[in-house]
Amino acid sequence: MDFITQFCSAAEAVGTQVISCKSLQQAVDYIVEQVDGTLLCPSSSSGERIGLIDKLTKAGAELVTDSFRERAPTAKAGVTGANFGIADTGTIVLESTDEPTRLASTLPEQHFVLLDPEKIVADGIEAVAPLRDLHQLGARNFIAYITGPSRTADIERVLTIGVHGPKKLHILLVPGLSSDPMEN
Amino acid sequence: MSKKRNQQYKARIDQALATPKLQQALHQFGDAFLLAREKAFTGHDFEALRSNIAEMKDEVRENLDRYLDEFCHNATSAGATIHHAATAEEANDYIARLATAKGAKLAVKSKSMASEETHLNIALEKAGVKPLETDLGEWIIQLAGQRPSHMVMPAIHMFKEEVAELFGKETEQEEPAEIQHLVEVARQQLRQGYLDADIGITGANIAVAETGGIALVTNEGNARLTSTLPPTHVVLVGIDKLVPTLEDAARIIQILPKNATGQLLTSYVTWIRGAVPCGDETKDLHIVLLDNGRRKLAEAPSCKDALRCIKCGACANVCPVYQTVGGHVFGHIYIGAIGIILTAFYNGLDQAAELVRACIGCRACVAVCPSKIDLESIILSLREQVGDEEGIGLGKSLVFRKVMRNRKLFHSLIRAASLLQKPVTRGERTIRHLPLFFSSLTEWRTLPTVAEKPLRDLFDDLPQPVEQPRYRVAFYGGCANDFIYPELGVDLVTVMNTLNVLVSYPKEQNCCGVPALYSGDKETAVAMAKQNIDALLKDDPDFVLTTCPTCTMALQRDFVEHLADDPAWADKAKRLAAITVDAAGFIVNQLQGADQFTGLPGIEKVTYHDSCHLKRGAGVWREPRALIQSSGDELIEMEHADRCCGFGGSYSFTSHPDISKNILNDKIRDIEKSGADCVAMDCPGCLMQIRGGLEKQNLPTRALHTIELLAEKLRR
Repeated sequence: MDFITQFCSAAEAVGTQVISCKSLQQAVDYIVEQVDGTLLCPSSSSGERIGLIDKLTKAGAELVTDSFRERAPTAKAGVTGANFGIADTGTIVLESTDEPTRLASTLPEQHFVLLDPEKIVADGIEAVAPLRDLHQLGARNFIAYITGPSRTADIERVLTIGVHGPKKLHILLVPGLSSDPMEN
Repeated sequence: MSKKRNQQYKARIDQALATPKLQQALHQFGDAFLLAREKAFTGHDFEALRSNIAEMKDEVRENLDRYLDEFCHNATSAGATIHHAATAEEANDYIARLATAKGAKLAVKSKSMASEETHLNIALEKAGVKPLETDLGEWIIQLAGQRPSHMVMPAIHMFKEEVAELFGKETEQEEPAEIQHLVEVARQQLRQGYLDADIGITGANIAVAETGGIALVTNEGNARLTSTLPPTHVVLVGIDKLVPTLEDAARIIQILPKNATGQLLTSYVTWIRGAVPCGDETKDLHIVLLDNGRRKLAEAPSCKDALRCIKCGACANVCPVYQTVGGHVFGHIYIGAIGIILTAFYNGLDQAAELVRACIGCRACVAVCPSKIDLESIILSLREQVGDEEGIGLGKSLVFRKVMRNRKLFHSLIRAASLLQKPVTRGERTIRHLPLFFSSLTEWRTLPTVAEKPLRDLFDDLPQPVEQPRYRVAFYGGCANDFIYPELGVDLVTVMNTLNVLVSYPKEQNCCGVPALYSGDKETAVAMAKQNIDALLKDDPDFVLTTCPTCTMALQRDFVEHLADDPAWADKAKRLAAITVDAAGFIVNQLQGADQFTGLPGIEKVTYHDSCHLKRGAGVWREPRALIQSSGDELIEMEHADRCCGFGGSYSFTSHPDISKNILNDKIRDIEKSGADCVAMDCPGCLMQIRGGLEKQNLPTRALHTIELLAEKLRR
């Protein structure tokens, strides 16, 4: 099984919505269709390069691009990129030292992740090399492995989705976004 | 021994046993856990993974200061403030003073067992800071004013109706007892807490020396919010969580969720290094490195492996005692087998005095430990320490030291018992009722009588028609074979003779010493080891055979350990260990003799019960099954075949008969459910327990030692 197939099946097994997109526009349309309310859109280098804010605005999204602290608590969703994916667990790795990226991926009920399918490694051990490189990007880091939506089994061991973090995690596989794992 | 402490402990057991709903929940959880765990490890070599963790953690323990320095240097360079806390009080004082200095009113917390260990919440409240637990399970027990009953699922002992009532008090309205709804209530209620809090407090699953960062392994997302939103982040982390590199951290993350909850990975793994941006400022990050007994544990020769623990909680999940009484009995702050050990070091040996005896010694935990900790052995060594410090009780002490060490006296007393029991045995081989204050012993199982004639007295008269024996073996009977089930010894001779093996019975052999050892009297155990080594090696047999796996482990493992530092005995102990083998294993592995029994008459539906020390001690479980099948019986596997029967020697007689009874009932249900006519096993202790339980419940299923089963067929 190739990494993309393995990634998709592992991610779906933990309740992630995985959408293979032919184009960025398809991903943008999907996001706009899913969100009813404000969408946190922190800046990222890949996002800027592909004109994400522009495309989302044109498609009719109600974007938040600043004052994240004030606006994040009432936002309906957040959209971020991903540095890379991990195939065997269906995980995305998101360098989120920049606080808006953290807010966009923790507070709202939905989190949309744009991932270039080229950037998927085999497993957690393979992930260490790029993880170490991410640590070199700055002296201080907040790096998140995200595998499915927020979950708990704390009441009678019954698996329940969506406690404190996002209730829905959508991973949009968009080819040609960025082949650089140091970029999210 | 503190009488009051012991009474409180007994009361907790009674209370737990009176809650069948809890037992049912924990049993179901144990079953589901094993299935999910097995699935999660598909394609992985668990033994290789855990050996790796053990090796890495040991290396850290041996170089703790170097890695701590590296961690502190890197964390400080990244803007963190480090505080070394030697004790729980020091950790609490530091955090409470920090909170006071910041004028903090509210601290949000994500789940941290270290903060449970230090009772941080009490310290915060004293300092005028409201601690708000945000992990769902932790919040539930905070509202209930309780402590966690499981390391990973703190509120596993509670039911949705209780949670609904607790939440209703918070929201001041009736909340339906529907889990999805209750989870939503928690989300809504706690959300504002993150935004209002002055401080966020987390633990850490891993501290990485290479980076000076921590990793948080979580599912709910509360740790991410707790570490992101408030301006101050306090990390309370035990120094045992240190690993050298990111690769080492990745290996822990590879095994931890699989072994904790059966997940391939938790929803979140969060790597935080240093004071990251927070609003328009930078975060004020404080890392409190907690010792509180960890260094003492690192330096305790017989216990130090426990420091490898990665806190997955699996040792509780699979523990029959935990499944019977829950974590509020079988644990202090940390629960399960590891909890017993950590309690002894973090909270004091006196807090663990009862708990070290609550372990039944089945080694189910050892089999699933992701850090390869021999939890049972460590608990045993702690039991010795409690025995040394608090005494093992005058009666036991007298029996072990004055009677059992003196073989002749011990054996003549057993013979006397054989005569004295006559009024209650009525000439039968089992005792169904005992009078007066002994009555509770036969309430839930019959007990075998002491045989009129022990094996040692009838052995020399047994005809052994073996002309040119392939092997000459010495039989180590152990107390049960010798005095309670001499017929099993006779059966062994029948079976061995068929295989052209000549059996001797060295008369100087004595009890293997395990009862003394398990009661905390190592001195007696060592004395008896020496007696047995001399007795068994005397005629230089080819092998020493056993029919009791607890004795097997004593001869194969314990004697060697007891005498490793005694130059006069170490080699002899090793020699005995090398030639000791259990009967079923001997037939199959040494004699390749399984097919000798094919074509014997009689077909029965037989189910097999794995004795704990045979499967998880000696590693023998295929062999008896091979014998049952080759002898023509139909082998039907029961559920939980390798789950303890609840015997545990004195565990079932004196220390914890009520727990023993419950575990036995589980076993009998599984035997009944299998539909077998006969349950076979390879341990006289299990035989006593299971046969006694079946008889007491008037069930027709026969309980036999595998050797008895074979001999019975040979005689037909």
